[in-house]
This record gives sequence, structure tokens and C-alpha cells, in this order.
Amino acid sequence: MSEELKNKAKELLTNKKVDLIIGYQRAADGVLAAPCFIDSQDDAEKLIWDSYCVYNLASYLKDFPAKRKGIVVKVCDLKSITVLLQENQVKREELLIIAASCPGVIDEKRLNPLDQQAQEIVFAGKCKTCKTITPAYYDILINEPQKNDKLSEIGQDEYEPVRKLEAKSIEERFKFWESEFSRCIRCYACRQICPLCYCPKCVAEQITPGYFSKGVNLEGNLSWNITRAMHLAGRCIDCGECERACPVGIPLRDINKKIEKEIKELFKYEAGLSVEQKPLLSCFDKSDPEDFIK
Amino acid sequence: MTGDRSEWEPKIVGFLCNWCSYAGADLAGQSRLEYPPNVKIIRVPCSGRVNPLFVLKCLSSGVDGVLISGCHTGDCHYSEGNFHARRRFTILRKLFEYLGIDPKRFQMAWVSASEADKWAKLVKGLVEEIRQAGPNKLGHR
Ligand code: SF4
Ligand code: SF4
Repeated sequence: MSEELKNKAKELLTNKKVDLIIGYQRAADGVLAAPCFIDSQDDAEKLIWDSYCVYNLASYLKDFPAKRKGIVVKVCDLKSITVLLQENQVKREELLIIAASCPGVIDEKRLNPLDQQAQEIVFAGKCKTCKTITPAYYDILINEPQKNDKLSEIGQDEYEPVRKLEAKSIEERFKFWESEFSRCIRCYACRQICPLCYCPKCVAEQITPGYFSKGVNLEGNLSWNITRAMHLAGRCIDCGECERACPVGIPLRDINKKIEKEIKELFKYEAGLSVEQKPLLSCFDKSDPEDFIK
Repeated sequence: MTGDRSEWEPKIVGFLCNWCSYAGADLAGQSRLEYPPNVKIIRVPCSGRVNPLFVLKCLSSGVDGVLISGCHTGDCHYSEGNFHARRRFTILRKLFEYLGIDPKRFQMAWVSASEADKWAKLVKGLVEEIRQAGPNKLGHR
């Protein structure tokens, strides 16, 4: 099924077009997919491409500086590479983008690996409302036949969970998030998995000045989650990796989506659309709204 | 912070830009304008210098309200600092609302060096609003 991908990979490695290829291989459980780093022709056999290829591999780009990297991407992951390029974190000439047409990925949290055969694939929330099918740019396109063209159901509102929360009273919202954040164990998995959280030293670890408590308490957990969200404002492309990585099931996408929705409405801005685009918070418009400012 | 409502007075931190709002507040003092003493002023070079983390630090340390005040748009000493601040804090405020944090606790204003009256009125209004919002329960002490 992934033959085309394997063949291309072999060709690229033989012709020394790339030093390595970042892609997916079958995980040890025989069901899920895990990232892999291929630097020899033989290893190229490992490559797979299907709905289990959940990870956003863009996070690994920074680990291989000054190497020519081939990377297998889905459309959503490509947008995070776009942001990395905008922010000068990777060099385009070091990248060989292998875009694969996306079958939609599974919702890992709702998968029962023991019951593989019987179960129909449950797609990730982000896929159910995904509007883009063709990648904006690439070097090589792997055109696997689309398994599920009905995946993104037309008319389904991607902001429905956000709107539901918005409809609650402010006290109810506080209760909701207080209880969600109370489970946060400050493992920072959300940050580690994020392709755009690349700071060599995160403010969460900073001591002088220390901005918020490192302990697990409402103040620290709330501040951490607000900080993470703000640092991704106008940059987050909704790959959904933070929410998937969070071991305690905090709906982090509902926060990211809220900001995404606001900046669309307020500033007509969408993250990761083109490399030339300026980052949201390093530009402004003289006519930006300011209704709340006195 | 005491839990006793009757003794409680709103504690407000104001980040004021050096060039406009700080001078405006100074003028209010020089002009002997009367207004409540609840705002502790922190002078910053520009409203664009204020990091959302400053606001969080205040609110999580038990401050009841935060104000950022700078030059009117177009008058920034550094030309565009306040435009950047405006974008950044519009988002922060929306996020606060969404997470259930009373947006009254986070406010912004443009006060020029000559607007002593506006400053005095602003503080009066702000203190009233924060009084309504009540003591901030987020703070750890
Ligand atoms: S949370 Fe902020 S400071 Fe920490 S790594 Fe992410 S962007 Fe950097
Ligand atoms: S992954 Fe979840 S539990 Fe861990 S720090 Fe992030 S929000 Fe908290």
C-alpha cells in the first residue's frame, strides 16, 4: 500500500538527495504507527502510510540541523513546517517535503487495539472538520488513493465545542476549566510534542524571574495553560498533538481553537497559510479592533 | 490577602508607559486631583513592553485587577509599540473570558501625558469595577 512511498524513499537515498527521511513505521504493537528515521535503502522498507500515522513529524526537524531531511507530511503537519519556515527555524533548502494525500488519522484515545478487526476507525476530531486535502507545496507528492472522501462532513462546524463553552456563564466556564486544569500534572508533554514549542529554555522552567509556580496547584496549572496557549496564538495550526499527548485528557484543542476562532474574526488571520505571511503577533493593522480599551 | 470582605480594598497593578500614561498620572498628582489610591504603578518603557506573563503573575499573586495604560495609537514613542500591545492583549482578554476569568480584572486604556482628568476618572471607574468583581480568588496568598 505504501509501495510508492518506499520506492521514492529508496530512490532519494540512493541518489543522495537526502541524508535521512523522517517517516512512520509500524509500532511494536503491530497496530499503531511510530516515527522512524531512515538513512539507508534497506530501512526504507519500514516506511508505512495509513490512518495510523498520527504523529506530527515536524517536531523532529530541529533534531537534525544541517542535514538534508526528507519528511513525510500530512496536510496539517505541512502547515506547522510553514510556520517553522516563517520563523526561520528550518531552512527550506534542507527540506525535502514528501506530501502524502491524507486518509485522515485515527483518534488514538478512542481506539481499542485489542478489538482491531471488529472496530470501525474513529477519526480524530480535527480530521472530521478538515477542509484541506491538497498540500500547499511539496517536493514530492505521494498519491495514495483517498480512502475516505466523505471524511470531512460538509457543514460540520469545527468550532462547535468552543461555541458550547462560550454559551455557558462565566462562572460555569471557570468551574469547567478549574476542574480540567486540576488534573494537570505539569508533565509538559503538551509542550514537548508541539512542533512550535521549540524554545531552548521554556518560561515554565525559568527561575529568575519565575513567572508562575512550578508546583501542581490551581495558580500554576492555570498560568501554565494560559502561557502555552498564548505562546501558540496565531501560530497553532491545530495538529492536535498537545491534546493527544496530554495524559490526563485536558481538552487543549478547545483552547487552541478558541484563539484560532478569535483571531480569524478579529484580525482575519489564519496561521500557517504561506511562508511569506508575517507572524500574527509581530505585525498589526492600524485598524485592529480595540472595543475594550478605555 | 484577608478573607474579610469588609476590610478588603481592591489591589490593582497598573503598567504605565513612561512617555504618556505615567506622565499623565504624574500630572494628575501635580494638579492635586483626587482619586483612590488602589493602583500601584509600575513604570514601563512602552505598553508594548508588557508581557502577558506580567499580567498572569499579578493575577496569580493575588492582585485583584491589572491595568495596562499607554499612549494613544499613533502617539507611541516607539511608533508602534502600542499597536502590538493592542493585538496581544485583545487575545489575552478573550482567553481570560473563555476560561472564566472575569475580564473586569484585566483592562487597558490610552492616557496621554496631558490627560490627567482622564487618568483620575479611569482609576475611579476601575476601582469601582474591581470592587464589584470582588477579591481575586486565583491568588495563592
Ligand atoms: S510554552 Fe512558550 S516558552 Fe515554553 S516552549 Fe512553548 S513557546 Fe517556548
Ligand atoms: S500534557 Fe496535560 S497534564 Fe501534561 S502539562 Fe500539558 S496540560 Fe498538563
